[in-house]
Amino acid sequence: MAEDAFEAVVAAHHGEIHRYLARVTGQASDADDLSQEAFLRAFRAYPSLPPGANVRAWLFAIATNLSRNHFRAESRRRRAHVAASNDGPVADTGRPEGEAMLSEASGRVERIVAGLPHKQRLAFTMRKIHELNYEAIGASLDCSAESARAHVFQALRKIRRGLHDLAIVHTEPSR
Amino acid sequence: MNRMPPSCREIEPDLVAVAIGEAAPATAQVVEAHVSRCAPCRHELSRYRAVEGLVGDLRRAPVPAADPTLARAQLESRLADLKSRLVSFGIFSSPLGPILIGRSEQGVSMVEYLESAAAASSRLARLAGAEAVENEGAADSLFRDVLDYLGGRRTRLDWPLDLRWTRSDFQRRVLEATSRLPYGAVTSYAHIARDIGTPTATRAVAQALRWNPIPIAIPCHRVIGSSGGLTGYAGSKVTLKQQLLALEGVPVAGGGAGHVERRAMYVRYLAESEYCVPTCGELPSTPLSELTLFGSRARAEAVGLTPCTSCRPDLHPISA
Repeated sequence: MAEDAFEAVVAAHHGEIHRYLARVTGQASDADDLSQEAFLRAFRAYPSLPPGANVRAWLFAIATNLSRNHFRAESRRRRAHVAASNDGPVADTGRPEGEAMLSEASGRVERIVAGLPHKQRLAFTMRKIHELNYEAIGASLDCSAESARAHVFQALRKIRRGLHDLAIVHTEPSR
Repeated sequence: MNRMPPSCREIEPDLVAVAIGEAAPATAQVVEAHVSRCAPCRHELSRYRAVEGLVGDLRRAPVPAADPTLARAQLESRLADLKSRLVSFGIFSSPLGPILIGRSEQGVSMVEYLESAAAASSRLARLAGAEAVENEGAADSLFRDVLDYLGGRRTRLDWPLDLRWTRSDFQRRVLEATSRLPYGAVTSYAHIARDIGTPTATRAVAQALRWNPIPIAIPCHRVIGSSGGLTGYAGSKVTLKQQLLALEGVPVAGGGAGHVERRAMYVRYLAESEYCVPTCGELPSTPLSELTLFGSRARAEAVGLTPCTSCRPDLHPISA
C-alpha cells in the first residue's frame, strides 16, 4: 500500500526537512511543528504524486510553502507586538544556541541570512545549504528557475556587503 | 557597487557564479580575463569566494538545537491516527453514473452515487472524523468488481466491510441483516425489522437503509415496501434500484417508483428451507413482512432452498 511506502519517505527525509525548517525559521520548536505538518500534508497528497516524481524536491516545496505561511503569521504577530511595545522592527531573529561552534564570520553570515527577505532566505537555504537545483527551488517558491537563481545571488550580494569590514582570509574555496 | 564602471557592473553576476562554482566554462574564462586586469573585481571575486567558504562552514555546521527525534516521534503518532481515520477513495464513471468508492485499512467503507464527478459534493467529504484522501489506485480493483457485478459477471461483492461510519448500533444491525439477502431476492423493510427483533421499527429500518454507507455491497436495493412498491433508494435514485433489481432477474413493473410483480416470484416463508409458488396453499400467511421473494427457481435453489413438496414449483413453475 502507498501508506507503507510513505514510511520510507519519512525515514529518508524527515531529518533533512526538519533541519531546513529549523534553519529558515530560526526556531527548533517551529521546525518541530512545521515538519510534522509538512509530512501530514505530504501523506495526504502522496497517492496523487506522479510516479518518478522527485520526492525530496516535492517535500521541500511543501515545507517551503508552510514556512511562508508561518512567516506571514509571524510578521503579523510581530507588527502587532512592535506597535504595542514600540520596540522597533526586529531584523534579526537571533539564535544564540550553537553559534559558538561557528567562527565569528560564519555567525555573521548566519545572522545576515536570518535577516534576509523570506524568499531570498528560503532560496539561499535550499540552494547553498541543501543544494537543491534551481528548478526545484523555483517550483517551491512559485517562480522560475531564473528568478530562484536571482534570489540566491541577491542573498549572496547581501552577505558579501554585510561582511565588507571583515578581514578576508584568502582561502581557496573547497569546491 | 554604483561606482563600478559599466563593464564591471555587467560582469558582476558572472563573478558571483564563478565564485560559487556555477559558471559555465566560457563564462569563467571571460571572468578570469577580466579580473586579471581589474583589481577591484579581483578583490570582489576573492570576497565572494570567501563568502562561499563561510557558507560551506554553515552547511557543515550542525543546526542549533534542531533535534528531530521528538518531532519524528510525534509525527509517527499523528500519522498512525490519520491512517486509522483514512478513507482512500476514487471516483469512477459507472453505468449507474459517477460513483465514489472508499476504503480504509479494515475494508470498504463507502460506496456513494454522486451527482457529479466532484468529491466536494460527496457525503464522504462531510463525514466527521474521516480523513478522505483521493487515491484512485486504492479503489480501482473495487471498481472493477462493481463493473463485473453490473455486467452480470459476478453475483457477490465479497469485500471486507468497514462499518465504522454507521450512525448507530441499530443501523449496523439493519445493514448486517440486509447484507444476508441473497442475489435475485427481495424482502420488505418490515421483514428486516422483524429479523433484527424490532418488528415495529419499519420506518426506522427504511431510514437506516436510506443512509446505507455501502450500497450494492450491502444490497439495500433488495428491500422494498410491504405492498411490493420499490418506495425509494439512496434518496431519490429509485431508477437505480429498478436497474439493480432488473439485473438480478427480479420482475419490476409499473409507473412511479415501480413495484415488484409478486405473482411472478417464488416465495420463502420466514426461515423455511423450502420455496413455493405464491399461490401455495401451505403458506401460513402472505404479508411481505414474513416472506422473501425470488425472481427465479435458480435463485432460490442457489441459496440451498428446495422445492415445496406440496405446491411442487419444480413440476409446476410459475408461467411467464
